[in-house]
Amino acid sequence: MLRLRSERSALRGVRDEPLPAATEEGERSERPSRAPRWLRSNKIQIFFFTIGILLVWQFVNEALRVPSYLLPTPTAIARALYSGLVDGLFIKSAFITLIEAVAGFLIAACAGIVLGTAIAQFAIVERLVYPYVVGLQSLPKVAIAPLVIVWFGYGFSSKIVVSATIAFFPVLVNVIVGLKSADADQLDLMRSLNASRWQKLRLVQFPAALPFIFAGLDVAAIFSVLGAIVAEFVGSQAGLGNLLLTFNSNLDISSVFACLILLGLMGTGLHFVIQLLRRRMVFWSGEDEVRKP
Amino acid sequence: MSTVLNADRSIVGSPAEIRITDLTMRYRTVSGDSVLALDRVSLAIQPREFVCVVGTSGCGKTTLLRIIAGLVRHTAGRVHLRDREISGPSADVGIVFQGPVLLPWKTVLENVMIPVVVLALDRDAHRRRAMELLDLVGLSGFEDKYPKELSGGMQQRASIARALVHQPSLLLMDEPFGALDAMTRETMNLELQRIVKDAAITVLFITHSIQEAVFLGDRVVVMTPRPGRIAESMTIDLPRPRELDAMSAPEFGSYVRAVRRLLNARGMTH
Repeated sequence: MLRLRSERSALRGVRDEPLPAATEEGERSERPSRAPRWLRSNKIQIFFFTIGILLVWQFVNEALRVPSYLLPTPTAIARALYSGLVDGLFIKSAFITLIEAVAGFLIAACAGIVLGTAIAQFAIVERLVYPYVVGLQSLPKVAIAPLVIVWFGYGFSSKIVVSATIAFFPVLVNVIVGLKSADADQLDLMRSLNASRWQKLRLVQFPAALPFIFAGLDVAAIFSVLGAIVAEFVGSQAGLGNLLLTFNSNLDISSVFACLILLGLMGTGLHFVIQLLRRRMVFWSGEDEVRKP
Repeated sequence: MSTVLNADRSIVGSPAEIRITDLTMRYRTVSGDSVLALDRVSLAIQPREFVCVVGTSGCGKTTLLRIIAGLVRHTAGRVHLRDREISGPSADVGIVFQGPVLLPWKTVLENVMIPVVVLALDRDAHRRRAMELLDLVGLSGFEDKYPKELSGGMQQRASIARALVHQPSLLLMDEPFGALDAMTRETMNLELQRIVKDAAITVLFITHSIQEAVFLGDRVVVMTPRPGRIAESMTIDLPRPRELDAMSAPEFGSYVRAVRRLLNARGMTH
């Protein structure tokens, strides 16, 4: 079997045509694998690898009697996650944090796109505002969280402000870079038709900037969750960040891990939403396959 | 130099599509040096004439085209488009660039309609014209495809349709087929001849291929570099429509040799 395969692939190399019998997986890996076919899929492999890690974790943890306030076992974390979800505390907290993050993200996205466009389009705005942007960008935004709590109180608004502030910069920077990345020939085409500034922006610069903008939005989505959590750490009455601090001070580490899992899922979910939007709006970009009707 | 003057004198007084008089273009490079890209270039192009400008890279031919397109401001001299002096881009001009320069996020038809949108012309009337032009350039059936789904030659055809959609009187082409393979290039030359005849338009065609220039042009203008000057303006007296076989005719060969001799006479590398 092995020999037959290698002979066939040598033949294929010469004639450059696909083997009728070759499966997709077979095409991808050069060395024919002895593993059964159902095990060769990437997702299945990752799944079993993860199961393996969890099993090792569980057994090592139990064998060495690691105290649960240092590192709980996977089963203990799963139990904590389940009970937290069932009594509604996790759902409610996650929902609060999600609202804060999404609101902060939306504000950051709009503000970043508007200000970024103004900076890229008008030299005077760039001259006056850009130095502040550079200065503020080098400031660790987390450091302003205590101040924002003083200004906006312990409620939603302070969380949204911190979240928006942190998520704002990646959007802004990518909008500026993206708008300036427009193809010189495409702009010449616009100029040869006496296009107005607005026409150039709408027809060429903004679409050309979209891949950059989505890269910025992707980072911003993660940062907005970060901002919401940090603000909740500094001062809050609710949310996953608040819950995390409470569990931590009670040394309920299993529940801390459960909260981290929820935060991870939240970030992944936001990332997927952005990617979904990107694929719809930047379908023409080189990353995806050509759409064949 | 005397030939240029003679060629120009013969058409003084006639209504030229483009009249260029003592056009000079001086660049300042980053290092502060001054480069004379065009030195007192004079040229007149008649309506419906197909003029090819041939020369090696750096002879100022693209600069010449960009000045006529209104994309670059010249240093001295005058450029008239019909009776109007050029001071910027004009809706009377269509441009085909070196690459297709299609917007990848728009369909072929939307790309062809770009001048209509930017110039705020009547969209319904021009959509019909755009479809006719796509048919003319051999792209009917491809109007809803995206540029990525087209070959290089097809993309360049779409850009020709785009350059013609707003019914300009002058078509500027800047080495439009330079990036295509030899076979496609020959096909495109044949088709361009047909398209231009149907569109009844004046063409200024920049190229560095002598064969292409002689094949397409009613006239071939030979430019030499440093500083960019017109060495000769040569009328190509070959019957139209020209087939690819015409390239093996002895007259064709002698025109090509004459152009090459002019280019080489100025110390050009072969």
